Amino acid sequence: MRLVWIRAAIVGAVVLTTVAFLLAFFVAAPAPFGEVRIPAAQVSGAQLGPNQPVGVEGDNMVFLRWDMGQKIFYFHVPVAEASFLVFLFAAVYGGLFLAKRDRKWDTRSRIAMEVTLFFVLLTMVTGVIWTKWAWGVWWQWEPRLTTYFIMTLLVVAYFVLRNSVEDEERRATYAAVFAIVAFIDAPISFLITRVLPSTHPVVFKSGGLDGWQLATFIIAQLGMLLFGFAVYELRLHEERLGERLEVLKNSLGG
Amino acid sequence: MAGPSDRVDEAAVRAAEAADAASPSGREHVEPYEAAALAAHSPVAASPNSWRQFKAILRKDVSMELRTREMITSMGLYALLTMVVYAVALNAAGEGFDILPIAGGLLWAAFTFMSLLGLNRSLVHEQDQGCLEALLLSPVDRPIIFFAKASGNFIFVSSVELLALPFFYFFFLQGKGFGLNPLLIIPVLVVGTVGIAGVGTLLATISVNTRGKDFLLAVLFIPLMFPLLASVVSATSAVIMGGDGSMTQLWQGLALAAGYDGIMLVAAFGLYEFVIGA
Repeated sequence: MRLVWIRAAIVGAVVLTTVAFLLAFFVAAPAPFGEVRIPAAQVSGAQLGPNQPVGVEGDNMVFLRWDMGQKIFYFHVPVAEASFLVFLFAAVYGGLFLAKRDRKWDTRSRIAMEVTLFFVLLTMVTGVIWTKWAWGVWWQWEPRLTTYFIMTLLVVAYFVLRNSVEDEERRATYAAVFAIVAFIDAPISFLITRVLPSTHPVVFKSGGLDGWQLATFIIAQLGMLLFGFAVYELRLHEERLGERLEVLKNSLGG
Repeated sequence: MAGPSDRVDEAAVRAAEAADAASPSGREHVEPYEAAALAAHSPVAASPNSWRQFKAILRKDVSMELRTREMITSMGLYALLTMVVYAVALNAAGEGFDILPIAGGLLWAAFTFMSLLGLNRSLVHEQDQGCLEALLLSPVDRPIIFFAKASGNFIFVSSVELLALPFFYFFFLQGKGFGLNPLLIIPVLVVGTVGIAGVGTLLATISVNTRGKDFLLAVLFIPLMFPLLASVVSATSAVIMGGDGSMTQLWQGLALAAGYDGIMLVAAFGLYEFVIGA
């Protein structure tokens, strides 16, 4: 892909994610969690502002509490879904390498796994931040967190495997096989922890999203996907340049 | 026209028949790689009969193991040593500590680590004696090699598991009643070991050809095993603890593990050809 289009994709991704960020904090309705009661005598007209009371109970006025931590949802879920999608591409490219034995598929599979690793790390970081905010602990062996941690281990294992094999064709074959097996394993992990009885309740506020919330989410998702695509193409471009450099060096006898 | 090839064929037939008829102790003179080659090349199985090939490779592995008893002793001792470490670890918890809720998990942790050891060794032997090349040179279908090696690994790992179970009971579960019928743990062991052997054989074939060897096998194996481990631990805990809904939990765990086994065995079977030819 021509460099100008890659640059356009990067700019588009940055624009989309920035727009999503601004929408998330200024436009999308925050999700409430619970209510707080303040004695009416303490509430002055000047304090009300954007947070209007929703009711009156005796002497108290009832306000909704806003969960600002929910905002991270607009970035955490898009990166998680992007990581899965790129993982799929990596597995498919691996399969194509096994079928056609053309080195370019192995290169594409490796680059796709690098992008997957990038998104997986982003997901883990945003997830840990959200866990701390929502539940007060940095980590919880909750189904989604556990299986995502397993996926992180699988992606890291892919690179450990690649580094352990010297012969190029063997490395590509083993990596492709492992990418396929790992991709089959990842959804199974998700389903299994959903179904097995666990001691922790799954607390996730995933109700419906209203107008602006949905728009923010979609824009963020598109931005992250475009970002992943742009990074992948950029890396591919870099690999091609590297190969051309090698050919030139060899032809010059160096 | 009679010639050297006929004599070789006759010798091969005699050797194959001898190998077929002899008891385990009488087969000392047949080298492991010869048995595989004979079974594939002998006129008794002129067209590569998959079942004969499978039997030959499996028999080679089992006879070698019976002769040396190396893998089973090392795996068994490893499981036992893991339990000793458990005892030390749990000692700090005091007398009143209720081990039943975690007993299933402890058991499968010991089995996982001992399987890593056994799987690695099963393929290191192949590499050391050049047996893998011999196998690949003979006209054996690659999937047959996979099934034969996986079956061998299944036999070894499940034997050690069955031997280790009484020790686990002896060390940790004495005096505490089993929730459900203890025999129900057998299907859980079978389903879990099928998954361990199947996926483990594929991964061991990969890792034995790398720099990392056993370390790499652990790195690849444990994340891939996670769904299977989660299901069998859940099922084993249901057997050990009993109580309300434990039969449901047992069946659920068995079903999930069986599903995992089905999917992963198909994948491993399909991909083994690429791995062993690399």
